[in-house]
Amino acid sequence: MDKHISTQFDSELRGVSSRVLEMGGLVEAQIRLAIEALALMSADIALKVIAAEETVNHFEVEIDRELSSIIARRQPTARDLRLLMAISRVTANLERVGDEAERMARMVQSINKAGATLRLPSGDLRIASDLAAKQLRKALNAFARLDATDCVSILREDDLIDQEFNGFVRRLITYMMEDPRTISASLDLLFIAKAIERIGDHAKNIAESVIYIVKGADVRHTSMADIETAVQ
Amino acid sequence: MENSKISVRDLNFYYGKFHALKNINLEIERNKVTAFIGPSGCGKSTLLRTFNRMFELYPEQRATGEILLDGKNTLQADQDVSLLRAKVGMVFQKPTPFPMSIYDNIAFGIKLFENLSRSDMDDRVEWALRQAALWGEVKDKLAQSGSGLSGGQQQRLCIARGIAIKPEVLLLDEPCSALDPISTAKIEELISELKDSYTVVIVTHSMQQAARCSDYTAYMYLGDLMEFGTTKDVFFKPQRRETEDYITGRFG
Amino acid sequence: MTLPTQSALLKYKKRKWINRLALTLSLAAMVFGLVWLVWILWEIVHLGLGGLSATVFTQMTPAPNEDGGLANALYGSGLMVVLATFVGTPVGIFAGIYLAEFGEKTWLGSVTRFVNDILLSAPSIVIGLFIYSLVVVKLKNFSAFAGVLALALIVIPVVIRTTENMLRLVPNALREAAYALGTPQWKVVLTVTLRAAKSGVVTGVLLAVARISGETAPLLFTALSNQFWSSSLMQPMASLPVTIFKFAMSPYQNWQQLAWAGVFVITVFVLALNILARWITRAK
Repeated sequence: MDKHISTQFDSELRGVSSRVLEMGGLVEAQIRLAIEALALMSADIALKVIAAEETVNHFEVEIDRELSSIIARRQPTARDLRLLMAISRVTANLERVGDEAERMARMVQSINKAGATLRLPSGDLRIASDLAAKQLRKALNAFARLDATDCVSILREDDLIDQEFNGFVRRLITYMMEDPRTISASLDLLFIAKAIERIGDHAKNIAESVIYIVKGADVRHTSMADIETAVQ
Repeated sequence: MENSKISVRDLNFYYGKFHALKNINLEIERNKVTAFIGPSGCGKSTLLRTFNRMFELYPEQRATGEILLDGKNTLQADQDVSLLRAKVGMVFQKPTPFPMSIYDNIAFGIKLFENLSRSDMDDRVEWALRQAALWGEVKDKLAQSGSGLSGGQQQRLCIARGIAIKPEVLLLDEPCSALDPISTAKIEELISELKDSYTVVIVTHSMQQAARCSDYTAYMYLGDLMEFGTTKDVFFKPQRRETEDYITGRFG
Repeated sequence: MTLPTQSALLKYKKRKWINRLALTLSLAAMVFGLVWLVWILWEIVHLGLGGLSATVFTQMTPAPNEDGGLANALYGSGLMVVLATFVGTPVGIFAGIYLAEFGEKTWLGSVTRFVNDILLSAPSIVIGLFIYSLVVVKLKNFSAFAGVLALALIVIPVVIRTTENMLRLVPNALREAAYALGTPQWKVVLTVTLRAAKSGVVTGVLLAVARISGETAPLLFTALSNQFWSSSLMQPMASLPVTIFKFAMSPYQNWQQLAWAGVFVITVFVLALNILARWITRAK
């Protein structure tokens, strides 16, 4: 990208973008830990996830403050304006991903406390959770490179996560029907599954924001066909 | 465009041998504000001055092509220049009150074309000064010299002077560049009121002013018209890379 | 800030000395010039005031060793200066307008400007002789009419030059503003440009008047002089400068006295005109 005549402006934009990526890295780490906690049903790992939440929230507040400052002082237009508007959305989405990861960890703690067994079909969630984490990684990469080509596939693959989620719900219902004593733990597991599905949605939102920055098209709430035309 | 007040067709402009405007094609919409932006020397003032044939004061400047005002070509030899300038008024960068009283400044242009009685003239002078948001400040000193006013007031006096002859188009050539921020804001406010009655074309080197004041923006570079569109589009998602570079302050 | 080094201090001292020297020399030169000026003025006042009385203004030029005044000379000068101004000013102003507004790049404009510069620096005696051969010889007598023509020929180049310069000083933006309203060219020139240059043009005229008030040589060959009162334009007429010339060179006491009085009157008049010119162009 060509440089601004004002190198100050350039470094401010780069600065806030890299803060966003830092926040993204932190959130990705949270998800990894949450998935591990789920796999091992470990309360210790779950604690680590919850501990990171405060830092993530700080990031959101700090980045928003930086955004307001840049907008007030620089009167950005066109591409710069879209970048800053999108960063605001991306940060909000990342913060909620952090919330979902924390929720996952709390559910793991809850399951653990109730003394649930490893017979729970928690392993089934592995595919979906890995997929959601990969989506987030892809979306953050697209933001880092400001490249909209991967975004279409991210948007498409979100359907897969939704399908996985629906499938899991059906299996969980069967499981609960077999042994009503597992209902409490199963509901916790359901919340975890819902959190994973939402993480996928947030990754999708981030991809939509990248398309907004690069193409200037707001593709929220539009059909896949329209999105593909916009990205051309 | 259906609602064109001015249509520019294949306009080329020369300062002696220098080709200053290259094949300009442009539509200025009626009762809207159109802004010309671009770096120094891009030709925006040159283009503005073709609309009222100001360039004819200087023999080495010439234009080819057509400029249609309400469908009639103004560059034709049989177009009376004084009548054209009565329809297409201009306000310049530096406020230039004539060396006479405020009243006479306004009456000067009116007397060229109309024979008004004293009371009609008084009314018209008051009307013009009200339109330029200056009446309240000068109504008690109409007999005083125009040069006694502040910079912002002088510029509004020049605007009132231009409006007094009831033109159809107002050309503003960087009208605020010599003024302080408050005077600038007052004049920008005035511009948005003026477009109800006039078609306004403004040349400005401040992009923020173009973004604030205009409905349409034309970006020019080295004599070429690079992009022309609604201000909303040009400043949110310009079509050309060059336009975006200029607007965001990048020169690669 | 670091302390200056030894060599830097030396350089500074040397500069200070040169500065003082230059200042002293300039002051001395100014005083030298002022001394002569003050001396001249003092002599004029001292010698002129002595001969000044009411009779100077009421009685005519006398024969040697008789009582009299300078009334006819004053009247003659006054009349010829006023007429010459009336003749020369319109010509000068319109020519100046042409040169500034219409003739900027034309060949006629360049030629006119060139000729005007020559006329401006032509010795006034040449102008006097020119009118002599053209008018006095043809009419076979000296006349105030010829004197007026000669003085007008001195007024014209001065007014042309100042008018053109003052008009050029008017910023182009003002003209463009007038054109943008649809004003035709002649109206722009007369009602906007000329009006803006008004005080400068008037000053030019005043300075021309001051100049011709003291001109002697052209009048010598045209109006000559007249011992007695004359109000006819076709007869020789007395004028102050010529009268002073005649009286001062004479051996008669009363004539010399009157000459000094005349010198005093002219000096005061020219001084007054200059002050008026400055007052008109004062920064408002």
